[in-house]
Amino acid sequence: MPAPSSPHLDRRLIDAARPARAGLYAAIGLGFAAGLLVILQALLLARIVNGIVFRHQSLRAVMPELIALFALFALRAALTFLSEIAAHRAAAAVKTGLRRALLSHIFTLGPAYAAGERSADLAATLTDGIEALEPFLARYLPQRSLVALVPLAILATLFPIDWVSGLVLAVSGPLIPLFMILVGQQAAAINQRQWHQLLAMSAYLLDAVQGITTLKLFGRAREEIALIARISDEYRRTTMASLRVAFLTSAVLEFFASLAIALVAVIFGARLLHGHAHFFAAFLVLLLVPEFFLPLRTLATHYHARMSALAAARRIFAVLDTAPAAPRGTALPPSGPIALSCRGLKAEYEAGRPILRGIECDFPAGRMSAIVGRSGAGKSSLAAAILGFIAPSEGTILVNGAPLAALDRESWWRRLAYVPQTPRIFAGTVAENLRLARPDADTAALSAACRRALLLDVIESLPQGFATRLGEGGIGLSGGEIQRLALARAFLKDAPLLILDEATAHLDLETEALVAEAIADLVRGRTSILIAHRLATVRKADQILVMEAGRIAEHGTHESLLARNGAYAALLQSVSIPV
Amino acid sequence: MKDLVRLLRLFAAERVWMAGGLLLALATILANFGLLALAGWFLAASGLVGLASYAAQNVFNFFTPAAFVRFFATLRVLGRYGGRIVDHEATFRELAALRSFLFARLEPLAPAGLAGERSGDLLSRLVADIDRLGDVYLRVFAPFALAACAALAMAGTLAFFVPWAGLALLAGLALAGLAVPAASLALGARPSRKTVAIRNEMRADIVDAVQGMAELLAYNAAPALEARIGAANDRLIGCEARLAALAGLGAGASLLIANATMGVALLIGLGLAASHHLPGAVVPLLALGSLAAFEAVAPLPQAFQLIGGMAESAGRVFAIADRPPPVREPARSPARPSSLDIVFANVRLRYAPDAPWALDGLSLTIRAGEHVTILGRSGAGKTSLLNLLLRFAEYEEGSATLGGIELRTIRGDDVRSLFAVVSQRTHLFAGSIRDNLRIARPEAREADDASLWRALEAAALHSLVRATPAGLDQPVGEGAARLSGGEARRLALARAFLRDTPFLVLDEPTEGLDPLTEAGLRADLARLARGRTVITITHRLAFVAPEERVIVLEAGRVAEDGKFASLCANGRIVPRLARMQKDLIHL
Repeated sequence: MPAPSSPHLDRRLIDAARPARAGLYAAIGLGFAAGLLVILQALLLARIVNGIVFRHQSLRAVMPELIALFALFALRAALTFLSEIAAHRAAAAVKTGLRRALLSHIFTLGPAYAAGERSADLAATLTDGIEALEPFLARYLPQRSLVALVPLAILATLFPIDWVSGLVLAVSGPLIPLFMILVGQQAAAINQRQWHQLLAMSAYLLDAVQGITTLKLFGRAREEIALIARISDEYRRTTMASLRVAFLTSAVLEFFASLAIALVAVIFGARLLHGHAHFFAAFLVLLLVPEFFLPLRTLATHYHARMSALAAARRIFAVLDTAPAAPRGTALPPSGPIALSCRGLKAEYEAGRPILRGIECDFPAGRMSAIVGRSGAGKSSLAAAILGFIAPSEGTILVNGAPLAALDRESWWRRLAYVPQTPRIFAGTVAENLRLARPDADTAALSAACRRALLLDVIESLPQGFATRLGEGGIGLSGGEIQRLALARAFLKDAPLLILDEATAHLDLETEALVAEAIADLVRGRTSILIAHRLATVRKADQILVMEAGRIAEHGTHESLLARNGAYAALLQSVSIPV
Repeated sequence: MKDLVRLLRLFAAERVWMAGGLLLALATILANFGLLALAGWFLAASGLVGLASYAAQNVFNFFTPAAFVRFFATLRVLGRYGGRIVDHEATFRELAALRSFLFARLEPLAPAGLAGERSGDLLSRLVADIDRLGDVYLRVFAPFALAACAALAMAGTLAFFVPWAGLALLAGLALAGLAVPAASLALGARPSRKTVAIRNEMRADIVDAVQGMAELLAYNAAPALEARIGAANDRLIGCEARLAALAGLGAGASLLIANATMGVALLIGLGLAASHHLPGAVVPLLALGSLAAFEAVAPLPQAFQLIGGMAESAGRVFAIADRPPPVREPARSPARPSSLDIVFANVRLRYAPDAPWALDGLSLTIRAGEHVTILGRSGAGKTSLLNLLLRFAEYEEGSATLGGIELRTIRGDDVRSLFAVVSQRTHLFAGSIRDNLRIARPEAREADDASLWRALEAAALHSLVRATPAGLDQPVGEGAARLSGGEARRLALARAFLRDTPFLVLDEPTEGLDPLTEAGLRADLARLARGRTVITITHRLAFVAPEERVIVLEAGRVAEDGKFASLCANGRIVPRLARMQKDLIHL
């Protein structure tokens, strides 16, 4: 997918923040008001000090100003509080909107998009990626406006009072961003590379830690300790070499801020000494110079937030920009038994990489069909096409003679049960995991489904039975138990069509026998499509479809296929089963 | 907190860098304080002199304060830049120390001491903890030390002019730097805990949604989960809003305290100046100095926020690092015996004093050169038998000898140097093919490529490697992601070929491969097995030859032992397994 460029991303993020505009403007407005109060505070302070020290006024005479000063303190504190809240509100609205949009779009794109390597990335984008936007929205964006507004207000105050120092600031102010851009461009490139290196170092440690047993087996583990120290050291040296450049950015800012203060002090000092200036003006300038540079310094501290927000935004918009493969139908599926046929069915991963190359087959109602073939032959893709997870590029799947593509997806799924090769245990209780298949199922129904999946004994031996928590933070089930739990889901759903992808992982034989028995029970009386890996399952099938390179190479019963002595016989021979 | 202090001791070697960073940061802050306070005094003094007589103007030393102003300005720029460099240097060094420490502590534990329900998660969390703890000095300890030193120095300076102003500054700094952050931390404890809990819950649901999408959609359960994630998001936002309000309150309070401190110092100064007890030029010094002083406590709120998480990370790291190693190593090994028979007699082994026995009276003899297959359900003791043999776990009772020498008197590395192990858990490292092969023979340098190629050829991987652009330097990717399952296993096999050891252990070497790949690999394994003592561990009977010796484990001891063919005829367990196996053959 093409990666949107950075300026483009900035704009899109701001567009995404449109619903939160009110909050952002409020944050900017409050920040600007706070900036104006700073100026006012400086004016008051300069007046008070000037009054007492130079005009020899009494404390009583400056009392109104003093009271106003303390009132300003309180007001500024209140504004700080309010702008924090406004900024968070704005960020929260954007985060919520994007998270919902992203999640629902991922569901629309379907498992064919979300599967495999991408799944971890998608999950990270939905959690950490969205969170990474917060500092950008709540801090960087408002600050970006203030960086122009507050210094301008300070200049507007200073010029009428003392145009010389106004000029000093007016000249040095714009120079800073200029210098920062120059140094920053180089630093940003270095920074990015450094960042990757840092990640690489922690990936290296993780790799070594995960392979610690292997290292021990080869007698290399103790050497690795020294190696880790050495590699860390090398990383440190290269990283530091470039950080020395990167830190120049902040040094530039620091330099100008300090230089301006020193200049103001020395120049004004000389002028005051010779009576060419008023202390009021000098003191006011001195008070305002740090404030002049403050917004820019604050922005610089949020610069990193922008970098990570843009990285996150790139991934977020890449997902949102992906169009779903197929338009959705609206027709309702048949209510009775289901027969399927595939006619000239073709599909591809991406253009030019076909996975199904013209499937012709029938799945008669109420019968069990077993699909066999080597990995990569297209078995799972055929199942995904029937499930509606991938859209055919050519050909059709017919449901009782009507095209599947015209059916409403949700209604179609209501008519089938699906057991994947590695079923997922969701965070929640056993009952919640089962009720996925039928939310209104009562405990009796859950027990019945588990009994038929040969899982009831296991559930009853759990500490809290059906209320036991599974998955994240709960107890773990064994591979065989997870498979039977998935079968129990299918029993509970009791749908006319069953699509089941048998597990390839080897369990111990006793457990495998249990799973096989439960599957044999489950297929009875339904249109069943099994991607089969066990000979026992295949033997019982009403028809066997042998897939090779995206096509059905042959089909028939176990006996008829053996008699043909074709692909099926070869497959059996390859696992040294005497034919 | 104890764990955090312990971390500091780990960093002791870097104390010069740490102290250097601290000094530079202190110089930066004091320079800023000095710059503003001096500039304030200087302007007022110049102004007063300017109003006074011409003679006074001539006496006034203009150049010394002006030079100090320039000095402070320069010191601040250099201090900031140098401080950041030194801080990062120290941080990287600390990180390196932590990484070595973690690995050195994990090494004696692996694998039996690290076995847990989700050891993969455990390890990646530990590595993340280490990354986080690299910052512990810079972000937690240094800010407190810095704030304390700077606060005393700055308050002392003000006190030199006006004692009460110095005291007021110290009080203000303590309030803004300690009281406010501590209070907001205490007030935020509950919403923070809730935020973490909701975030974890939501993360679990999101991972479920993405990885379990096919099932969720097929069971029409996606909308329900979507709603649940949406609700969690809303609750999360609610908690975050409370935290944001607290943060705003803290920031507002800090600002108020800083300003009020300045106001108080000003009032004290003004009062004294109005009554001529204080030179007027000191008043701006008091005001500007006390305002600038608050830079010293600015990082403290963040430091307070980090303490909890850092302590948790340190606690997790030390909890693992302090685990006792499962095996005690003797100082040195006896000489290698001439024969290498394995004899176990009534061995009992368990992983914790209160754990059930994993091996419970195991008695078994494997003669040098024998090929045996060990069968058993999961939990029957197959892995424990390997752990016993490879010195990954200690036996408590009975005797386990290798060539007549008790295993516990031999160093683990020396025992393991006699074994080549091929299993589905063999780890491939993210480097190149060459890197992965060299682990088996570190002395094989570039010149020795021939031996690497021979090993690849023996594992039937050479044509594939030759076809890649980089050959032996071809990267295999993280977790060998760029290799197929079969190729990865073959690379592990090539490693075993490189290691010419008397023992070969095959621990489910073909698990997870499709049958055709498996059949091919079996043939290569047979070649590797020639002339060695081979122990194959499996829970299936496929590929066991009739004349091969089969040992069936049950509940941590030998249940059946004999030739496969005779056990098939007369055994109790093997015939039942064989019957099942026939039906359960995988295609």
